[in-house]
Amino acid sequence: MSYIVIEGLHKKYGSTTVLSNIDMKIDKGEFITLLGPSGCGKSTILRILAGLTDASAGKIIIEGKDMIGVQPKDRQVGMVFQSYALFPNMTVKENVAFGLRMQKVNTAEVDQRVQEMLVIVHLSEKANAYPKELSGGQQQRVALARALIVRPKVLLLDEPLSALDAQIRQKLQADLRAIQQKLGITMILVTHDQEEAMAVSDRIFVMNNGMIAQSGTPTAIYTCPESEFIANFIGHYNVFTRQALETMIGETLPKEYSKYAIRPEAIHLELRQGDVCISGEAKQSLMSGNVIRTTFEGECPFTMEQLHQRGQSFELGKNYVCYVAREDVIALS
Amino acid sequence: MKKRGFADLFFLLLMAYLVLPVVATMFYAFATKWNKTILPEGLTFKWLATLFQDAEFIQAFGRSVLLSSGAVVVALLVIVPAIFVIVLYFPKYEKWIQMAVVMVYSFPGIILAVGLIRVYSKFGVPMILVVLGAYVIGILPYIYQGTRNSLRNIDARQLLDAAQLLGASKLQAFTKILLPTVYPGLFAGALLSFSVLFGEFVLINIVVGSRFETVQIYLMKKLSVSGHIASAVVFIYIVLMGLLTFAIATLTKRSKGATNL
Repeated sequence: MSYIVIEGLHKKYGSTTVLSNIDMKIDKGEFITLLGPSGCGKSTILRILAGLTDASAGKIIIEGKDMIGVQPKDRQVGMVFQSYALFPNMTVKENVAFGLRMQKVNTAEVDQRVQEMLVIVHLSEKANAYPKELSGGQQQRVALARALIVRPKVLLLDEPLSALDAQIRQKLQADLRAIQQKLGITMILVTHDQEEAMAVSDRIFVMNNGMIAQSGTPTAIYTCPESEFIANFIGHYNVFTRQALETMIGETLPKEYSKYAIRPEAIHLELRQGDVCISGEAKQSLMSGNVIRTTFEGECPFTMEQLHQRGQSFELGKNYVCYVAREDVIALS
Repeated sequence: MKKRGFADLFFLLLMAYLVLPVVATMFYAFATKWNKTILPEGLTFKWLATLFQDAEFIQAFGRSVLLSSGAVVVALLVIVPAIFVIVLYFPKYEKWIQMAVVMVYSFPGIILAVGLIRVYSKFGVPMILVVLGAYVIGILPYIYQGTRNSLRNIDARQLLDAAQLLGASKLQAFTKILLPTVYPGLFAGALLSFSVLFGEFVLINIVVGSRFETVQIYLMKKLSVSGHIASAVVFIYIVLMGLLTFAIATLTKRSKGATNL
């Protein structure tokens, strides 16, 4: 049996349904990400798991125990909040020790475990600082240490990195993954950032309108989107109607699929065996770091992405013929 | 430069207007005689000593402290948890508290006193308890504002959630996290309330009068007996208020990361 089981979870606020028929199975030690746009219900799942919000219907089982009706303090579920939620009247050390003090662990053990945890999150030298004296990244690491020290069965992370700047966010993503693997703890991360989800997760559940739109490994989600929503949300896919794509490539496509998707980076300029060709007029080129994104207009507008170091510059206003491997044309349900 | 000169002059005039009566009263409390000279003819502790030897004054002082602090304690015990519950769990009802806060200011003391006498005198309720109750309501604005402002600086609901997920009960989360976090603001509100009640005269004088003589009633009585003694009472009152103001000012400088008023 899975470590965490969520079955038929529903949540309604008045007449508004925010979660509908959510089923999830999570193994021990997995790093799971709930990914989706704002308001899709992903944070509500975390709050229900933590016991901070009641479900309207459904089951939550953690390590074989039904959690419905169990108080948050008795669930052994840790949580890291977006706004850190550090106790402002306590030092870093006192914040981290709080959970152990509530468990009435003896002082010597508390001191030892706090020191160990501060080493793990690289904050030993800030033990006596107050939260307001720390940077955002440091505060988030204190929040992580505070949640981890009580050895929760599962750690819930509610957009913990979204308030931080890009560089610190990337560093903390790596730290988070390393700590998760080192401690072997089950983590569930909520984020709307698909790159973050791809970087840290074992599996991703993509959510839309209170439902799970698709789940799988980051690679599977990215390379095999099942719907137009996933294709657009996860990877800036080019999405074409069947008729438009048939016209463009001059071939007949299976009628059971109404839409097709092509990854922008799967489009190239050299003809290879089995490629289909698409064409358009180069309209705009935008550089974002190491990637150049070029927009083409024609019968079916599309976007192509190339690595900057190998990227060819396109003459804007000129027509180009581009190629895509047949297996990179993905049928959407 | 000319503008600055005018500003300084007006500031000095204002300060003179505000401070001179206080300084003069304080000097009068220590003056041996001060009738026909610009400055007192001599200084003495006689009036203060007389005051502290007067059992009536000591009792009046004790009653004022008891009544004011009693009302503040009751207000803290009743109003603060209510504000927490409303702000955290029923924010839509907060407008009613805000309305009550405004209403406190809209009742002049004399009308309130007459109203209290008319309503409660026929029930046999001790009128001092009625005044205590009115005081508790009267300081609602200070307690509410102190608590609310402190809560506004923190995400109280999330702190409560975080504490509970770490194994704390709701009561533990309240006493160990929320209360210490809002404590400076709360304490400042309590001190402010105490100082306001300590100086209250209209309500206690009309509703209870000499049956429960407070410092303010004692002062009123002494005004017709000896100006020096009355000034000594005012001096003690000013020192007490000064100490309370200093305590409030110290507390409102943020301490230990906690929020303030």
